[in-house]
Amino acid sequence: MDPDDLATINTALDADVDRREKIKDQVNELDKTTRSMVGVLNKIHSTPENEMVSVIRSVRPLLESCSIALEAIANLVPQHQFWRWRDMWCHSLRTAVFSAALLEFLEKGKLISVAHTSEILGIKPEWNERLYLQVEDYLHGLISVVNELSRLAVNSVTMGDFDQPIRISMFVKDLFAGFSMLNLKNNDLRRRFDSLKYDIKKIEEVVYDISLRRLAPLPPSASEEMETSPERRKN
Amino acid sequence: MANTNRDAVLKVFDGFRVELDEYNDRRERLIKVSRDITNASKKVIFLLHRLATAKIESGGTDFKSIAKQGRDKLIEIQALFASIRGELDGERFWSFQRAVSPGLQEYIEALSFVHYLESGRLVTFREVQASLTDESGIVYFPLPLDDYLLGVSDLTGELMRYAIVAISHRGGRNKAKEVCDFVRNCKADFERFTPFVKFLSKKQAVTSQSLEKIEAAAYTIAIRRSEYGASAEALEDLVSGYESSSGMERQGRGRGDVEGDDDMFP
Repeated sequence: MDPDDLATINTALDADVDRREKIKDQVNELDKTTRSMVGVLNKIHSTPENEMVSVIRSVRPLLESCSIALEAIANLVPQHQFWRWRDMWCHSLRTAVFSAALLEFLEKGKLISVAHTSEILGIKPEWNERLYLQVEDYLHGLISVVNELSRLAVNSVTMGDFDQPIRISMFVKDLFAGFSMLNLKNNDLRRRFDSLKYDIKKIEEVVYDISLRRLAPLPPSASEEMETSPERRKN
Repeated sequence: MANTNRDAVLKVFDGFRVELDEYNDRRERLIKVSRDITNASKKVIFLLHRLATAKIESGGTDFKSIAKQGRDKLIEIQALFASIRGELDGERFWSFQRAVSPGLQEYIEALSFVHYLESGRLVTFREVQASLTDESGIVYFPLPLDDYLLGVSDLTGELMRYAIVAISHRGGRNKAKEVCDFVRNCKADFERFTPFVKFLSKKQAVTSQSLEKIEAAAYTIAIRRSEYGASAEALEDLVSGYESSSGMERQGRGRGDVEGDDDMFP
């Protein structure tokens, strides 16, 4: 091997190793934050609806603090090399997306957008090509939300909240309809999408149990129909 | 209310579908090109083996003309790399690097074989990169270090085949020794990179096997030569004498002449 080449390759490899370690340190920081978020979010399964606000409030600062580690990572990634290093942090980033999307649902009952998620996590548009929220990671985060919501549907019934499962059911069905529009390849996302149907089944069973026993008010669309139906009018 | 939510979700996912489809389609296209590159590179390697074997058998020593023919073929492959430069600009390069890396490694293997026949040296990182750069000096395919190391690692397997063919021919003993030393050096040089490059340790294992095969062949030749106790030159003459007579014998057999058998043991 050419001695010059040997030296160049050695230097380049050392630089890569160095960079990798620095990124890893920051990913560990991000991981700490996302893990504590998941820890706090676990409380939603035992928090009555009227106290949910305080859980949400305690997760917010953690969610916003993700930006510190993310900014450090963005500064370590060379221009155009997002894809070269993304495997290192995508797991943590997906957990962060999961937390942001779950909060949005609990607060507003809505699906969070990619742009809004990026904003909350402090991912700046000018980092483009070094670090950004990629659709695949966002979708992974959403699937985790569905996994979590199927548990919440069960647990909210235990706590006597019969509205939540209905809201969850509608939200998850919308999401599933969205996912069904994608042409997924045989990859992780596809496998996780395939598992969604079990979550949906579980949620449907809860909704069925509630409806059968008339424990919850009818969903708005159904009650509208009832109100406008001829029989109702006669009464 | 429910319907407007659903419509909003569907609209957003419609955008995702377009984005994911675009990504997947591009990836498919690049995998196809990568396969074409692999195929073309394998053909170059086979061509080099064929030409080199013919050259060795005819007793020739000039391998530069063979390398030239290989190099001409490589131009077609370089054009394939140039054809995908638009698909790999900016951040896309690292996004699809894994899709094109098999083809790239095979190309590096072919190029390094050409380079070895030409100069007896290992092609350098800079030389490989230069082969993927246009006339105005713009790199149209940035060469990842990993692919370079994995590509040149494959060269040792080709050189093993080359050495084994050479060793049974006149002048081939020296050639085999040259190759053996070269492969040994490659193995030593690459060793220090194995902790940094995924899959390199596997390639190193293959290189070790190739090296052992060359060494075993060299050993056999050395032992036989010592038994005969003659000069290398005399041994060459003896072997070629046998080769030509058995060649005649084979021809005789082809005509159905079985009596020719006796000629083998004069």
